[in-house]
Amino acid sequence: MTKYFIRRFLQLVVVAFIISVLCFMLVHLLPGDPSVVILGPNDTAHNRAVLFQELGLNKPLYQQYFVWLGAVFHGNLGQSYLNHESVTHIVATGFPIDLELIIISQVIAFGVAIPLALVTSRRPNRTLDNVSTTSTFGLLALPPFVIAPIMVAIFAVGLHWFPATGYVPFSQNPAQNLHDMILPSLAITAGSIAVYYRLLRSDLISTLQEDFITMARSKGLGNRTIMWRHAFRPSSFSLLAAAGVNIGALLAGTFIVEYLFAIDGLGYSLVQAVQQRDYLVVQGIALVVAIAYVVIQFIIDFLFTVVDPRVTRE
Amino acid sequence: MTSGNELSRRSFLSRGAATGGLVMLGAAGASVLAGCSSSPSTSSSTTAASSSGGKPGVNTGTPKKGGSVTIGTLAEIDGFFPPSNHWDTNGFLYANAVYDPLMWVAADGTVQPYLAKSLTPNADFTVWTMTLRSGVKFSDGSDLTSTVVKNNFTALAASALTGTALKGIASVDTPNPLTVVYNLSAPRPAFAAGLTSQVGYVVGQAMLDQTAAGKTPTPIGTGPFIYSSWQPNDHFTATKNPHYWRSGLPYLDQVTFKPIPDDTQRAATLKTGGVDLILTNDPVTIKAFTGSSQYQLVDSLTDSIGEPTVAFVMLNTAVAPTNDLRVRQALAKSLDVKQILKIFGGGYTKAINGLFQPGSPFYVSDTGYPKYDLAGAKALVNQYKAEHGTPTLTLTTVTDPRLESLVQIIQQMWNQVGFDISVASIQQATLITDFITGKFQAATSYQFGAVDPDLNYVWFSTTTVSPVGSIGLNFPRNSDPQIEFSLQSGRTSSSQSTREVAYKKLNQRLAADLPYLWLEQYPFAMVGDQRVQNFAGLTLPSGAAGYGFDEGIIFPSQIWLNG
Amino acid sequence: MPDDRELADTRNSGRLLSDQVPGLAAVDELVVSRQSESLDSDDIMVSKPMGVLFWLAIGWVGLVVVMAVLANVLPLPNPNFQNYSAINAPPSVHHLLGTDDLGRDLFSRLVFGARVSLIVGFVSVTIGMLIGGTLGLISGYKGGRLDVALNAGSFVLLAFPAIVAVIAILAFWGQSLFKITVILSIAVVPLLYRVVRASSLAFANREFVIAARTLGAKSSRIVFREILPNVIPVAVTFGLITVAGVIVIEGSLAFLGLSVPAPTASWGNMISEGTSNGTLNINPYVMLWPVLSMFLLLLSINLIGDRLRQRFDIREGLL
Repeated sequence: MTKYFIRRFLQLVVVAFIISVLCFMLVHLLPGDPSVVILGPNDTAHNRAVLFQELGLNKPLYQQYFVWLGAVFHGNLGQSYLNHESVTHIVATGFPIDLELIIISQVIAFGVAIPLALVTSRRPNRTLDNVSTTSTFGLLALPPFVIAPIMVAIFAVGLHWFPATGYVPFSQNPAQNLHDMILPSLAITAGSIAVYYRLLRSDLISTLQEDFITMARSKGLGNRTIMWRHAFRPSSFSLLAAAGVNIGALLAGTFIVEYLFAIDGLGYSLVQAVQQRDYLVVQGIALVVAIAYVVIQFIIDFLFTVVDPRVTRE
Repeated sequence: MTSGNELSRRSFLSRGAATGGLVMLGAAGASVLAGCSSSPSTSSSTTAASSSGGKPGVNTGTPKKGGSVTIGTLAEIDGFFPPSNHWDTNGFLYANAVYDPLMWVAADGTVQPYLAKSLTPNADFTVWTMTLRSGVKFSDGSDLTSTVVKNNFTALAASALTGTALKGIASVDTPNPLTVVYNLSAPRPAFAAGLTSQVGYVVGQAMLDQTAAGKTPTPIGTGPFIYSSWQPNDHFTATKNPHYWRSGLPYLDQVTFKPIPDDTQRAATLKTGGVDLILTNDPVTIKAFTGSSQYQLVDSLTDSIGEPTVAFVMLNTAVAPTNDLRVRQALAKSLDVKQILKIFGGGYTKAINGLFQPGSPFYVSDTGYPKYDLAGAKALVNQYKAEHGTPTLTLTTVTDPRLESLVQIIQQMWNQVGFDISVASIQQATLITDFITGKFQAATSYQFGAVDPDLNYVWFSTTTVSPVGSIGLNFPRNSDPQIEFSLQSGRTSSSQSTREVAYKKLNQRLAADLPYLWLEQYPFAMVGDQRVQNFAGLTLPSGAAGYGFDEGIIFPSQIWLNG
Repeated sequence: MPDDRELADTRNSGRLLSDQVPGLAAVDELVVSRQSESLDSDDIMVSKPMGVLFWLAIGWVGLVVVMAVLANVLPLPNPNFQNYSAINAPPSVHHLLGTDDLGRDLFSRLVFGARVSLIVGFVSVTIGMLIGGTLGLISGYKGGRLDVALNAGSFVLLAFPAIVAVIAILAFWGQSLFKITVILSIAVVPLLYRVVRASSLAFANREFVIAARTLGAKSSRIVFREILPNVIPVAVTFGLITVAGVIVIEGSLAFLGLSVPAPTASWGNMISEGTSNGTLNINPYVMLWPVLSMFLLLLSINLIGDRLRQRFDIREGLL
C-alpha cells in the first residue's frame, strides 16, 4: 500500500512537471506577448525592452522556466503581469469556486442519475426507461451556453428565483452561496447526468442478470436491499471511472459558465490569461489543474477499492 | 458570448492617459457597431428621466444621504496605480471612486480644475503653474502637497506605459507646498486637457513608496470613497470617505463595482436587482432599455464633449492592395454604412464623416469623404484589375460574435464590387501586435475619444510612421505632410480659430487619404434603476456644471438614492 | 466524454463476483424467469428485431448525411448570402426555417452546417480511432514498457488543460475546418486509446487468445485476427458517443470564436450565434434548429449504437 502511494505521488510529480513544461512552451510560442497587452499603444521598442527587463522576459526561455520552477518550490507561483495579483491568490480564490461548482453539479448529476438508473434498470424498456434514456441522452445536445441563457431568462429574469450573475462567498453566507451557485451548476450538470445515467443503467441491467442477484432474491431479500446492497456496488465501476474523467474535464473547463455568470473561477481566469499572454497566471493555473486531475484520479482509484476491496492493481 | 469568445472577453478599451488618446480595440464584449441616434433629442426624450434636470441620469433636487450602489461593469480594472496600469473606461470608473483627477471637463467643454485649485499658463503656454487646495488629505491621513504631485509625476514619467505622454515636460518645480510648476519644452495650449487623463490622477506617497519597494499596495487616494476590498474579477468595494475634501460629498455610504463580461447577463443582472447601474456598449442592450419607464438611460451619443470614440475600418496604406488610393476609394464607396448600422443597432447609431461630430467646433459638414457609390467603386476596381489583377485582401477583426457579423456584412458589400475578400477573427493581443507592426490589410477598430484633439497626435503624425514589420503608432502608416502640419499648428497654437482651421483640415485630409473608413460614433451607455439618482450629474468644485458622463465614465461621489 | 476505461473491468468484476457465489445450479430456474422478464434489456443475449425507432434513427442519420453530402447539388439558397430585406424572418415559404440576423437562410445554413459538423465529428473520431485505437490495441495486448509509456502519455494529455492547448495551437496555426478537425482528432486520441486499451487488455488473457498463442500464431495475427474483432463493438459504440461529444465541443469552440472562420456555418457556430448578444430573445430560431437537429442526431446515434451493441454482445457471447 505504501509503495502504491509513493508510486502515485511520483506519478503526480512527473505529470505536473511535464505539464508545466508543455504549458510554458505553448504560451511562449503564442504570437504576441504581455507587453502588447500591458503597454498597448506605448509598446515601442524602448518601452518593451524596459518592461521585459522588469518582468524577466529578456532571459533565455529555459532560464525563465527554471526561475519560475525554483519559485514554485518555495510556494511562490509569481504574479500576474497585468494586475499584479499573486497567482497563489488567484488559484486560492478560483479553485474553491470551481470545486464547489463541480461538486454541486456532480451531486445533482448523481442525485438524478443514480435513483433514475436504479428505478429504470429494474424494468428496462418500459415507458419510464425509454423516456428517461431518451431525454437524458438528449441533454448531451444542450451545451452550457444554450442552457444558461434559457435558465436565466426563466428563473432569474422571469421568476426572480435566482440571481442572474454573481455569488456570495461560501464563508460569508453558506446558504446564500449555495442558492447563487445553483443556476451555474445546473448549466454544467446536463452532460454529466446523461453519461452517468447511461453507464449505470446498462451496468445495473447486466448485474441484475447475475446469479448472485437471483440468489439474493431467492433468499427473500427486499428489492431495496438488493438494488442498493447487492446490485449498485458492483455496478458502480463505470460510473466512477466516468466521473473521474468527467470531473477532470470540468476542471478549468467550466469557463463558459464562469463567463456567463460572472463567477471568478479558474477556467475563465485561465482563458483570459492565455489570451492576454499573462504567462505566469497560465502556468500557475495549469499546474494546479494538472495536480488536481492526478489527485482526483487517485481518489477514484481509492474508491474502486472501497467499492470492491478485491480489486487488484497490476 | 458575446464576446465571449475569447472569452476573452476582457475589454481593452484603453483610455487615454498615456498617449492621451483612447485606443479601443474592439474587444470583448465590445461591439463595434452600435447604435444610435445621434440626435440628442431621440434618446433623452424617450428615456425616463428621473425627476428634475430634464437630462436623464441627472437630478438636481435635494440629495438624500446614505445607502449603497452596485455598478455592473464591462471588465475588471488592471489595478489602481496610474503609472503601471492601463485604464480603460472601467478603469476610470473605479478610479473616480478612490481618486480625484487634477483637472476635469466642464459641461461647456472647457477644462477646469478639480483636485487642483487652479492651473494657469504663461503667455506662450510653456510654463504651467498649478495651485493645490490646502487641507486635502489622502485616505491614509497624509497631506496632498506639491512634493507628492511631483513624485507622482516622476513615477509616471519613468513608466513605460505613461512616460510617452509626459515627454514634453522638461521639469517640474515645487516652489512651495501648494504650488507645482510644469516647465514644457514647447508651447502646449492643450496641456491642461492631458491632466484629465490617467496621468492626472494623484496617489498617496505611501503608495508610491510601496510600489517602488516591489509591493502591490491597496489604493491610497484623496477620493470620495476609501478602498475596502478588491477581489479581481469579482468585486471592488469602497466605503464613504468621512474626511472628503468636498464637503457634503459623497452621498452614498458605499459603492461596489462588479465586472460582468457578458452584455446580456449584465442586463439580466440589472433586471433582477443584482446591480443598480450597468455600463454597456452593446447597441442591443442600449436599445432594449431605451424608452423603458423602469430604467434611466444615459448614452454617449446624446451627450458627448470633445472628440468622441468612433468606429471604423482601418486600411494599411503601406501594403498592397490597400496602398493604392483607388482601392481605398473603392472600398469606401462600396460600403453602405447606413445599411450596416441599420442591421446592427436597428439604426441606433448614425453614419459619420470624420473624427468630429455636429456640435464640435472642428466639425465639417462635408469633409470630402466618399459617398456610397457602387458604380464608382466598380469602375475603380476595374481600373485596378486591369493593372494588377483582382484586388484580394483580408479583413481582420477581434474574436467577438458582433464584430464577426460586422465583417461579414462588409465582406459581402466589398465582394459585390469585384474584390476578393476573406475575413478573419483573431485574438486581441495578436491584433494589437499586428496593428503596431503594420501587418494587416484591413481591420475594424474603434478609437480617438479625447477631450482635446491634440491628445490624438501620435495616431496621425508622420513621425510615428514606421516601415511594415517595425513598431509604429501610426497604425495605417499614412504619411501625409499636410496632416503633420495641421497637427503641429493645432498643438502649438492658442488661437481657437487657428486650431479650428487645423483640425478641420485634419478631418479633410483623412477623408482624402482614406486610412480610415468611418462607420459610426461608438456608444457607451449607463443604465440605472429608478432609485439611483444623479448618476450622470456632476458639479465641479467651482460650482460649475461638469461633464458627468464621459463615454461611460461617471463620478460616483454625486450619486444618491431615492427611497 | 466518459472514459469507459473501466467498462470492461466492470463486466469482468461482475463476472468475477458471480463466479464466487456458490450454489448457482439451485437457482437455475429463477435465472431463466428473471431473464425472460427483462427480455429486451441491453445485454441480454437474445436476438430481436431492431424496431421502428431504430429505423427512424437510421432514417434521420441517413437524411442528415445525404443532405450534407449533397448540399451543393440541392436547390438551396446560398447559405452565406445576406438578404437585408429579410432579417430575422420567421419560417415561411421563402425561408423554410426563417433567417438569421444577417438575413441568411437558416435552412440552407443548417444543411451546410451539418456538413461541417459531421466532418468535424466523424473525421476527427476516425483519425483519433485509427491512432488511439491502434495504439490501445497493441498496448493492451503487449503490455510491458510500451504500455506503461503510452498509458502515462495518455494520462498527461488528459490532465493537460485542453483549452490552453486549443487556443495556443489555433492562435499559432490559424483556423480552418482542416486544422480544427486535426486538433480535435488529437484531443480524442488519449480517450479512445484508453477505451480500446481497456478492452484489449480484457481479451488478452481470454482462452481463445491464449489458445492462438500456444498454437504459435504471430502477435500481429493475434492482435488483428483475434482481439480486434472483439474490441470493435466497444470501440464503435464509444466512438459514436464521441462523435456526438466532438460536435458539441466544436460548438464550444465557436463560443470562443475558435471554430471554422466566418461565414462558414456549422451547427456549433449557429448555436453560438443564436445564444449570444440577446439573439435568443429576438430570434430563437437561430439556436433552435441546430439544437433540435443535434438533439435528434445524438438520439439517433445513441439508439443505433445501443442496438448495434446488443447485436455485437450476442456475438461476443457466442464466442
